Amino acid sequence: MSNEVAALKGRLLKSIGRSIYVYRVDCGGCNGCEIEIFAAITPIFDVERFGIKVVPSPRHADILLYTGAVTRAMRMPAIRSYEAAPDPKIVVSYGACGCTGGIFHDLYCVWGGTDKIVPVDVYIPGCPPTPQATIYGFAMALGLLEQKLKETTHVEGEDESVPLIHPGVPYGLRVALERRARRMAGYLQGRACAEAFMGALEAPEPAQVDMRITQLIAKEEDPRRAEIFTQLKLVFTGMLA
Amino acid sequence: MTGSKDFRIGQIYITALNEKMPDAVLDTSWQTDNQVTVTVKLNSLPDAVATLYYEHDGWLSTMVGNDERPLNGNYGLYYVLSMEGAEKCHVIVHAEIPEDSPEFPSVTPKVPAAVWYEREVRDMLGLQPIGLPDERRLVLPDDWPEGLYPLRKDTMDYRFRPQPTTDNETYKFVNDSKVETTVVPLGPLHITSDEPGHFRLFVDGEDIIDADYRMFYVHRGMEKLAETRMGYNEVTFLADRVCGICGYAHSVAYASSVENALGIQVPARGQAIRAILLETERLHSHLLNLGLVCHFTGFDSGFMQFFRVREKTMTLAELLTGARKTYAMNLIGGVRRDILAEQRLTTLKLIGELRGEVKRLVDMLLSTPNFGGRVNGIGRLDPKIARDYSPVGPVVRGSGHRRDTRADHPFAGYKLVDMPVHTQTGCDVLSRTLIRVEEFFDSIAIIEKLLSDTPTGPILTEDFAYVPHKFALGYTEAPRGEDMHWSMTGDNQKLYRWRCRASTYNNWPVLRYMLRGNTISDAPLIVGSIDPCYSCTDRVTIVDVKKARAKTVSYKEMERYCRERSDSPLK
Amino acid sequence: MLKFLKEVLRVGEATQKYPFAPAEICEGFRGRPEHDPIRCIACAACTSACPANALSMKTDADAGTRTWAINYGQCVFCGRCEESCPTGAISLTKDFELAVARKDDLIKRAVFKLAYCRSCGAPFAAAKEVEYVGRILASYATSPEEAERIRANAEVCPECKRKLDVEQIARSNPVQQMETAR
Repeated sequence: MSNEVAALKGRLLKSIGRSIYVYRVDCGGCNGCEIEIFAAITPIFDVERFGIKVVPSPRHADILLYTGAVTRAMRMPAIRSYEAAPDPKIVVSYGACGCTGGIFHDLYCVWGGTDKIVPVDVYIPGCPPTPQATIYGFAMALGLLEQKLKETTHVEGEDESVPLIHPGVPYGLRVALERRARRMAGYLQGRACAEAFMGALEAPEPAQVDMRITQLIAKEEDPRRAEIFTQLKLVFTGMLA
Repeated sequence: MTGSKDFRIGQIYITALNEKMPDAVLDTSWQTDNQVTVTVKLNSLPDAVATLYYEHDGWLSTMVGNDERPLNGNYGLYYVLSMEGAEKCHVIVHAEIPEDSPEFPSVTPKVPAAVWYEREVRDMLGLQPIGLPDERRLVLPDDWPEGLYPLRKDTMDYRFRPQPTTDNETYKFVNDSKVETTVVPLGPLHITSDEPGHFRLFVDGEDIIDADYRMFYVHRGMEKLAETRMGYNEVTFLADRVCGICGYAHSVAYASSVENALGIQVPARGQAIRAILLETERLHSHLLNLGLVCHFTGFDSGFMQFFRVREKTMTLAELLTGARKTYAMNLIGGVRRDILAEQRLTTLKLIGELRGEVKRLVDMLLSTPNFGGRVNGIGRLDPKIARDYSPVGPVVRGSGHRRDTRADHPFAGYKLVDMPVHTQTGCDVLSRTLIRVEEFFDSIAIIEKLLSDTPTGPILTEDFAYVPHKFALGYTEAPRGEDMHWSMTGDNQKLYRWRCRASTYNNWPVLRYMLRGNTISDAPLIVGSIDPCYSCTDRVTIVDVKKARAKTVSYKEMERYCRERSDSPLK
Repeated sequence: MLKFLKEVLRVGEATQKYPFAPAEICEGFRGRPEHDPIRCIACAACTSACPANALSMKTDADAGTRTWAINYGQCVFCGRCEESCPTGAISLTKDFELAVARKDDLIKRAVFKLAYCRSCGAPFAAAKEVEYVGRILASYATSPEEAERIRANAEVCPECKRKLDVEQIARSNPVQQMETAR
């Protein structure tokens, strides 16, 4: 970016006050981003309380908001709307497709992210970004909130070694329990159930394992979780036999 | 699976075809108990489709073109008919096209519903429909090179991006009116927000004589992606992104197409969770449309109220799936998250609140005197036209046809509930709106029912193996109507072909008839009433057929005119 | 009109306080995936499960490194990485404040060392992965000697393993064994 443009943008940010006019350019999105922008301007999130207003023409815009991976058919219209907006202007790339092309990044009818056709000032990731993420992104673009993410590179240290999960539970049993739990309740809730169950297995005094499992099931208030624990108990007793 | 066992549903249609057209049928095979593919001679294709369509209560659900040259030396065409008469099932009329003469007799002259499908198969596979009058592109952009067919297996890599052939749009718009017109676009072209698409209205003064539109500005090449970069499970997440509003319906339709092809039995609890989430999606989608109908009729405070309440449905989605829109809940064989007691109780509380809130808002909307005046008798879809073009969802139900995939061909958890189907006979914007209102409250009842007796057991099965070159349909009733997917498995742990047809695809062709005879200030309202994933209309060219001049008006300007009805943009 | 006014008065203030107060977010929300490089064995399960190619793994044999990277700008927040990770090194957080001005700030990398085959000396996997797998397999051993043999065997590349297997079979003279059995 040339110094002149940067200075102009700085001046825009200073003088913009509470009247930020945003023009949306959909370059070929799935509508998910568009509807979340709608959600951001309606009562629950209400970005208009910060003076941010969506306008119907690029000629009125301070900020251009690009959504969607740029499709072949939208290349020229997207460039034309950039040219139509008066300088200085801020370009925000919205959503995974806008930032990089997202899941569509390498397709034949797509040119890629917004920055393939116009210079971008701020990227808002998300698929789609939630209304809160939208508010944060705009606040960042306007210099009101600090950027949190930073590029990082971790380099493996000496003697880095990955601890085993539940070393007290035999590996084969752990895999069988996790697999059953995942089929019962999915990767998230299932894993939580498997963790609770293996916690009961691992406690000291192995002689009382059966009693602890019975207690775990009896104490559980959620009948569904109790059902899952019962299934895990079947896996456990099955592997013992 | 070839043969004609008696217990299989759909035999009566095969018998009827054999009686009417002896020797036309070459083969029949059932993919599931109620999906039968019947192979006919290529020349008999139009008659076979037309017979099933008009004589046996068939509706055209989708058409699939498939490059099967590596398998058997031919291209395959599959016309999918949803049979809604005596025996409810799907009959797929299949014909083979030899490699050396890539053309087929067009079905469109006999069944108009086939028009977009045949234009698309010409774009994507280079198969020429002989007898199809419309020779324009449908899907591929104007700057795409001639003779490059993306879905042929031997043409190009899915990442190949040919140089643009033009920087200008070259699409020709069609006008059926009797007056000679010249189209001269005036003023600088500027794209105004919303989803891309280009409308052209042909008007006489304020009255719409005809309309034409150019869609597919967002064509990205998902079908090609699904058979190249991705494995079976990854495509469920791609299907989530077919549409940002009703993506989950696509994901379920895709997953069930593969499950049907391989005979995978998804556990009952997984099926019920799918149905609960599909209805959650319907809740937020219908509230979106009710909000927009307020917006288009100039009742913006109502729009804001509906969007305020809609956030409760978004919270519901976030609670059950971890995200507000793209649910990422499906795998082949089931779902990825369970509904535990905690989520169940919060869901019941939220939908209880929604029932009361939406009832109040709907009362408020229907008792607003201006509203009735704007939607009554506007955008009429004649039931006969609806019969010819196979539209889906509230659009077809608003014109008196009792079609709902959830009731006609129960899938997922809908086998566990009594599925009411609402129809209206007004055929107008009001009818379609009222149907959405009724369906909103049905959705709440369905979620309550499925949460009160959810089946127990697992939510996911992984006890299956992928077998190459099996194919079947998968379908859902999205908020906008039936979504139809057809998948064929491949021999490299990837799909051989995925055909995805969104509900709005079937609703666009009838829009032209709904616009005719209305005034241009009602156009955005009518477009909005088919709920096209928010109006896909970025600009509208208005052509005055008497003055023989054209003017391009920004969509926002049209929308403003629709709301305020003053200061016509034509002056 | 009265109905509308009544509704507006009944509802009152509906707007959430964010960004002046923490956002109201449900449990289980799928936000920014957090990667713990210490727990990661660079097995690449997540990179092949990622539908958007937001995760990548590049091997540089000359430098002896394998670099894992995530691009938050390409991520679709589906959680498949969390689901496929065998060591719990990656999981989704509730963090949604991801906007950046510099595109490279969307990228997070972790560089791992490669393991070299005991037999032929060629690099074939991440050192941490080989060590982790060796440890798990060795836990099934019945004697310390067997454990050591298993661990050593894990440090051989697949190609050499195939070769060694064939040589071992040849040494055991299968033809004679079959004749004896007959």
